[in-house]
Amino acid sequence: MDGTKAAVVLFVAALLQLVVLTQYVTFRSGSIVLVTLLSLALLRGSVFGALAGFLTGLLIDTATMGTLGVTSLLLTVSGFWIGRYGETTARDRLHAPFLSVAVVTVLYAFCNLALQFVLGEPAPARLVVHALLPGLLLNLILTLPVYGLVRRLFPPLELGDRVREVRLLG
Amino acid sequence: MPRNRTVRFAVLGSSVQRTAASGYATNRSSALRRRIVVGALVLASLALITVSFRSSALDGVESTAATALSPFEVAADRVSAPFRDTVHWFHGLVNARSENQRLRAENARLRHELVLDQAAVYQNVQLQKALDYQGPPSIADFRRVTAEVFTNPQSPIDETVTIAAGSSKGLVPGDVVIAATGGGAGGLVGTVSRVWAHQSRVTLLTDSSSHVTARDLTSPSAIGVVSSGGSGNVLIFDRVSKSKRVLVGDTIVTSGTLGKGDLPSLYPKGIEIGKVSSQSVSDADAFQTIQIQPFVDLSSLDSVIVLVPKQ
Repeated sequence: MDGTKAAVVLFVAALLQLVVLTQYVTFRSGSIVLVTLLSLALLRGSVFGALAGFLTGLLIDTATMGTLGVTSLLLTVSGFWIGRYGETTARDRLHAPFLSVAVVTVLYAFCNLALQFVLGEPAPARLVVHALLPGLLLNLILTLPVYGLVRRLFPPLELGDRVREVRLLG
Repeated sequence: MPRNRTVRFAVLGSSVQRTAASGYATNRSSALRRRIVVGALVLASLALITVSFRSSALDGVESTAATALSPFEVAADRVSAPFRDTVHWFHGLVNARSENQRLRAENARLRHELVLDQAAVYQNVQLQKALDYQGPPSIADFRRVTAEVFTNPQSPIDETVTIAAGSSKGLVPGDVVIAATGGGAGGLVGTVSRVWAHQSRVTLLTDSSSHVTARDLTSPSAIGVVSSGGSGNVLIFDRVSKSKRVLVGDTIVTSGTLGKGDLPSLYPKGIEIGKVSSQSVSDADAFQTIQIQPFVDLSSLDSVIVLVPKQ
């Protein structure tokens, strides 16, 4: 059930990113897909994050007719890494989504640049550095509503676990 | 919070080992499964990159998937259109007064120029017929295919758009793309770089790989190469000799094929590119430093026209 819900949420986020937000230059440096994926990974763990990242990346690469696998690779690693962070140190910490989004936004931009460079595609570092701060700010602004919505759709698993414990003891 | 912490309940007075949340992998087998899954996904991604980059084996799959996605993209575009129009309406309202005055002045000037141009065109046609002149292909020698833009550039380093026309409409890589403005033809946008059955990818003029032979419309002997300015919607008109007179406000157009070389220009002559926004000459440089503001806002395109050579 979580898988289907996540697929719908990420599909809508990808459409929003591909068709609507990128029509405005201001929104082009941010990524609602990345923020949504990281929110999901934080709440559902590394394997879920990696799988969701891989499939979302495939969707984006297909829609933009780019080199297949580039976005998949970046989102898979991002989803896995933040999922691990969610499973270990980030649990119950309010700053976790913001910290995750901030760190991954910066790393994603530079890893994407490096990957484009390796593939022989145009990779102007100056543009990436210029767009980094607006992108970071935009993603952090998006984090609050997106993480709130994703958390409502995917309640943390710990809560259900706690309820079961009490029922057993009572 | 540590995962295997001990919770002491006051009622029972005994310790209860708290189980880890079911969604999180904790034990050794889960760790192994986790590593296998992420390893497989990373390997799959690398394999996809390799195959997609080095061959066209996945083009069919990609084309089918893109075709399947296009109705969703169109639907999302339709749903977002009223919101986008509202934003544009408010934006237009703010600038309406000043824009109205500017457009009235421009309209009067263009009307005067139109009369002169029509006379010049008539004279040109007559002279070409009389001399049996064979020039480089112009925009009139191409069939026009209008296509909707599916996706605009996705990141600051992305200078490509996808359009809703492909090989089924006769498009091939290298076809020239111009903007569709108000039912007419606008300025130069770029070239088709990849083609699928019903979609194509267009590399914009602002991409660092784009280079166009161009000339100054006011001073036709000022010939150079238009390429990316490195940031935003700015282009560079390079390799223009210092002896040529180029002024701010001049219109730069494609020059088409020059001379009788073996490699003709991809671009037909006479397509508008932009207006000169700054020009300077320094002793250190061999050529003039000229910046161009494109006529087309390449960062946000709704529809384009692809110029397909007539058979």
